[in-house]
Amino acid sequence: MDGAAAAFSVILPDRALRIENLGMTQAAIPDAAIRVRNVSHQFGEVGEARHVRALLNTSLDIARGELLCLIGPSGCGKSTLLNVMGGLFTPTTGAVTVGTTPVHGPMPHDIAFIFQESALFPWNTIFENMILGMTFQGVPKSEREDRARRALEAVGLDEFAAHYPSQLSGGMRQRAALARALSLETQILLMDEPFGALDEQTRMVLGEDLSVLLSRSKKTIVFVTHSLGEAVFLADRVAVFSARPGTIKEVITVDEPHPRKPEFMTSAKFHRLRDQLYGLLHEEIRKSMSQSAKPKRAYEDQAKGDS
Amino acid sequence: MSAAVPTHAGIRLQQYLWRHPGIARLGVVLMLFAVWEIAARWFVDPMFLSPPSKVLFAFGDVLATRGVPAALRVTFFELAVAFAIAVVIGLVVGLAVGLSKFGNRSVMPIVLLLYGIPQITILPIFILYFGIGPASKIAFGVTHGMFPIVMAVVAGVQNIKPILMVSARSMGASHWQLLRYVIYPHMIPSFFSGMRLGMTGVLLGVLLAELYVSTAGIGYFTSVFTQNFDPTKLLGLVAILAAMAIVLNEFVRRAEVHFARWRD
Amino acid sequence: MSSPRRKFKDRFASRLVQVGFLVVVLLLWYLATTRWGVNKLLLPNPLNVWDQLADVIRKGEYLNDLRITLTELAVAFVISTVSGTLLGYAISRSPYLIKVFEPLFAGIYSIPIILFLPLYVLFFGLGPASKIALGTTISFFPVVLSTIAGFGNVDKVLVTAARSMGASDYQLFRFVLVPAALPVILSGLRMGFTVALLSVIGSETIASLAGLGHRIVNLAENMDMARMFAYIVFVIAIAASLNTVVSVLEARGRRQR
Ligand SMILES: Nc1ncnc2c1ncn2[C@@H]1O[C@H](COP(=O)(O)OP(=O)(O)OP(=O)(O)O)[C@@H](O)[C@H]1O
Ligand SMILES: [Mg+2]
Repeated sequence: MDGAAAAFSVILPDRALRIENLGMTQAAIPDAAIRVRNVSHQFGEVGEARHVRALLNTSLDIARGELLCLIGPSGCGKSTLLNVMGGLFTPTTGAVTVGTTPVHGPMPHDIAFIFQESALFPWNTIFENMILGMTFQGVPKSEREDRARRALEAVGLDEFAAHYPSQLSGGMRQRAALARALSLETQILLMDEPFGALDEQTRMVLGEDLSVLLSRSKKTIVFVTHSLGEAVFLADRVAVFSARPGTIKEVITVDEPHPRKPEFMTSAKFHRLRDQLYGLLHEEIRKSMSQSAKPKRAYEDQAKGDS
Repeated sequence: MSAAVPTHAGIRLQQYLWRHPGIARLGVVLMLFAVWEIAARWFVDPMFLSPPSKVLFAFGDVLATRGVPAALRVTFFELAVAFAIAVVIGLVVGLAVGLSKFGNRSVMPIVLLLYGIPQITILPIFILYFGIGPASKIAFGVTHGMFPIVMAVVAGVQNIKPILMVSARSMGASHWQLLRYVIYPHMIPSFFSGMRLGMTGVLLGVLLAELYVSTAGIGYFTSVFTQNFDPTKLLGLVAILAAMAIVLNEFVRRAEVHFARWRD
Repeated sequence: MSSPRRKFKDRFASRLVQVGFLVVVLLLWYLATTRWGVNKLLLPNPLNVWDQLADVIRKGEYLNDLRITLTELAVAFVISTVSGTLLGYAISRSPYLIKVFEPLFAGIYSIPIILFLPLYVLFFGLGPASKIALGTTISFFPVVLSTIAGFGNVDKVLVTAARSMGASDYQLFRFVLVPAALPVILSGLRMGFTVALLSVIGSETIASLAGLGHRIVNLAENMDMARMFAYIVFVIAIAASLNTVVSVLEARGRRQR
């Protein structure tokens, strides 16, 4: 029998159990900023070659003013969930509410996005990018310049207002994208691996800045990352995803006030949480790899057959 | 049709077309032919346009017209010779210009200057110098075809990432080895895409010259058919030539795809 | 990469080479006609050509032909620009339509459309209509193909980002799709212009009653070599200036999106 198929058939009932567990263990939060209820999402139709079940029956509440990290194996559906939360995808089944409003499309007044690549418009200067975002959102003309300047100051890019995105470094571009999101003055920020393309040091520094910002502004932030350290350092809670089709396997709480100091990173608590997270993730990543490692298995089987 | 009340078969057809854009493309082409057929049958004077069904059956007539097979042979000969000469000139000049700094500085501006001239304006001079026979067609085809090849060869030789040259040198490659194992393979895909553009140019040049004045090539027969108001034969001849052009283009394009396969 | 000053120097050097080349060619031409006794019917004396050119311009004899050629060109280019961009935009909105039409247009574009000239002459006659039709057909393809490519390859992330910030359909078009597609479309328009110019002059050369191409052919048939050379120089100058104008407009359009 094919090894991968065997593994798969073992995983599935196991996962079904976990989902039921989850419904009981995860308490609903009163007055949540975002409520995700039984959301499933699939791309393409059953039977099509491009059919993928990206999310399976996921439920999650995000409290006002908290920073929640989503972490999980690559391709498990984190971005999909974020896009569903922000109304960029309509889920196949299930529902999302922001505050008391059901989500049926982009909500530019409540939610701002930051994407993995900066998604700055390359033909506009940094300043024009700020202005354009507010134009889209519908901010009155008289307020735009002032808000753009303040947002750029907040991320320390005021001197680069007249530069084009291609003239900035990767880290500066992500800061500019952050500034654009801040200038929209939404209560919620959805960030999809915003620092994913940056080096370890830069992302740590940007993480510290974000922590300071969070403690000041009381924004609600959902933050997708692949970095265990980043997740523990930034998050109030970390939601760990299972392998595809993704659903939330466990939520870990990081009880540490913002703004967090770099010293937190060397504390015993940080390491304990990080190790716990690693344990949870490791298993899922192995599973997600075995889903896509058929050629190797086939090769091993053949090698056995030959001997 | 099934558009108003989608039957089961209608939906199946829709889904099938959705998955096979090539079939839908074929449908579009057939529809264009249908429009042409209808227009030619009922709406346009047969002196000026004949329906595709009639043209299809006229291929035999066209080929049986005295002199047409010979004219096609002449034109094909002109294309082949012009292309061969253009490739040789393009390769030699391109390498000479691309490989030496001096050549690049001194000759490239001239190549660019000449390439920018609308050559069609000097077609009468070509006829004057090379006569109304195949020589002028070949010459005009060569001047149209060689510039894109020169440009492509120069680009292929020059746009090598410096890191590749440096790393080859660091491994001890000699001057000759650099040429043989780095510059040459890097140039090949670019050379073949230049050949494709060159083929387009040669076709343009030869056909322009043929249409302008011709005693034995296909240009002669296009003007005869036009003057006789014989759209059936004219369309048949044009279709044969278009097919010839497509085959030649496809031939070079295949070669390009084959030799450029290591590029993304 | 290279500094602006270096670039300027390079461009200056290549201009110098070009001018030097032209001077040498003129000199050889002059010597060939005066010293080496090349037949006047094959190669007229450059000074003679110069006189003729001055005469053509002074008398304004070129005006009618120039007007006809430019009108044909303008009409052809406007028709293909409008139809090409509109159709290209419509097709680019659906990946399915792109898959259906893009290979079709690319396929037709790869055959030498000049072949249809005899058909067009049969259909539209020897007058401007056949030139306009051919110019339109030939320039339509680069325009429509570049419009499809421009609007079809807009980075999805940018569209999503604009939507997430609440961009309306119009805003998305005006501030995201158009600026993203513009450079590609503009280079398609420039290419369309160049081929329209070539096909208009080409079809005037091959079969026509008037226009600059027709004038050159006419002079060639009358063996009026010096004047024909003068007209060739004139047409090349006109074509070069038109192409320069179009390139400058393209560069400006790129900057101003
Ligand atoms: N537009 C799409 N069409 C089809 N399938 C898609 C599409 N977007 C995502 N998918 C599939 O859905 C699954 C989940 O994708 P998603 O982008 O949410 O993963 P992710 O968890 O964000 O992964 P990563 O950590 O690598 O960013 C993947 O297997 C992907 O192949
Ligand atoms: Mg993702």
